[in-house]
Amino acid sequence: MGRAGEPECDAEVVGRVLAGEIEVFGVLVARYRDAFARYATAVCGDPDLAADAMQEAFIRAFDGLRGCRQPERFGAWFFRILTNQCRNHRSRWGKHEAADPAGSVTVEAKESADGALMQGELRDGIARALDRLTADQREAFVLRHVDGRSYREMAELLVEREDVLRMRVHRARELMRRFLEERG
Amino acid sequence: MTGGWSDEAQRHLDGEGPPPPDADERARAEAFLAATRGYSAWLRVPGPQVDRAVMEAVRRSGGRGVRRSVWRWLVESRLAVRPMVAAGAAFALVIASVALTLLTQPPNRPTAQPPTGGSGAGVLVRFELDAPGARTVALAGSFNGWSDHAIAFSRSAETGRWSVTVALPPGEHQYLFVVDGERWVQDPAAHAQVRDEFGQTNSVLVVGPRGVVRS
Repeated sequence: MGRAGEPECDAEVVGRVLAGEIEVFGVLVARYRDAFARYATAVCGDPDLAADAMQEAFIRAFDGLRGCRQPERFGAWFFRILTNQCRNHRSRWGKHEAADPAGSVTVEAKESADGALMQGELRDGIARALDRLTADQREAFVLRHVDGRSYREMAELLVEREDVLRMRVHRARELMRRFLEERG
Repeated sequence: MTGGWSDEAQRHLDGEGPPPPDADERARAEAFLAATRGYSAWLRVPGPQVDRAVMEAVRRSGGRGVRRSVWRWLVESRLAVRPMVAAGAAFALVIASVALTLLTQPPNRPTAQPPTGGSGAGVLVRFELDAPGARTVALAGSFNGWSDHAIAFSRSAETGRWSVTVALPPGEHQYLFVVDGERWVQDPAAHAQVRDEFGQTNSVLVVGPRGVVRS
């Protein structure tokens, strides 16, 4: 149970917001910012782009809340808005070279801190390899490997069959392996 | 070494099988998994500043978007829980709409059939869809809270067409067909399609007290 007075399920929260309690929308914002922040950052390839995409997605969700036909599945509905925003921000602001999704700390600094240069190169390679994927492949790969979601969860979020998503992730891994090997 | 992952490696990378037998591929798979885990942990993700910015924008809007939607939320998609006052107002609007439509439109219903019977629950309406490759078809609309699975079509063994007959209350209803649980498609035979404020296009059906008025 949540704290007293705090709505627990999404449908209740949506109902209260639609009834005029707009401050309650903050419950959904906190809940799904936390759930999808990692996904947005990896898909956008940049933490600032991800923050912009998330803000825009939440505002659009608020403005279009009555279009959420199954409020108990607000999360899946919001996820689709967020994915569209991530795609828009990525194409609008350009993402031709992999930025540093870890922010302003340099790779070298991080490597000296953890002393794992080889692992750091692979990690950096993952970031750059993600840029080589199609949007569909990138989103599926990120959900599976960065967010650690099951194919069943992914199917619900992406409104796609599990076998299709499995093939998409396999293809993404093939392309990433090829890229990483070419990169040396 | 170049080339793709073996099936064993793909299963292992999916977390659904043991490591691949080939030592070199096993090492590559483990390194790949470690790198993705490291990448995930390395990401700097948006924090509560997003929440603050969103809520400031929401407050600035004064909830205009939501207030616009309250009426429709009450009268359209949640009939079972709407307050009685709203239900009364909605019913009055529906009656006016149906009466106007009855006066201006002859019965014309290419997919929805005339009622084969009536009851206090509503008017029986038949929906049909020609979708030979579909595994499932369901009817979702303003009359069932847009549930994507509650009203399932059955497939005719003779014609291959999908159909379902449901009892609907008089009034204007918006609906879509849900194919294979994932594709929301319009009724190609509907009289009208309307685009809602969220950019989605729905089929429209008007039911009068004695049958389908427009579909």
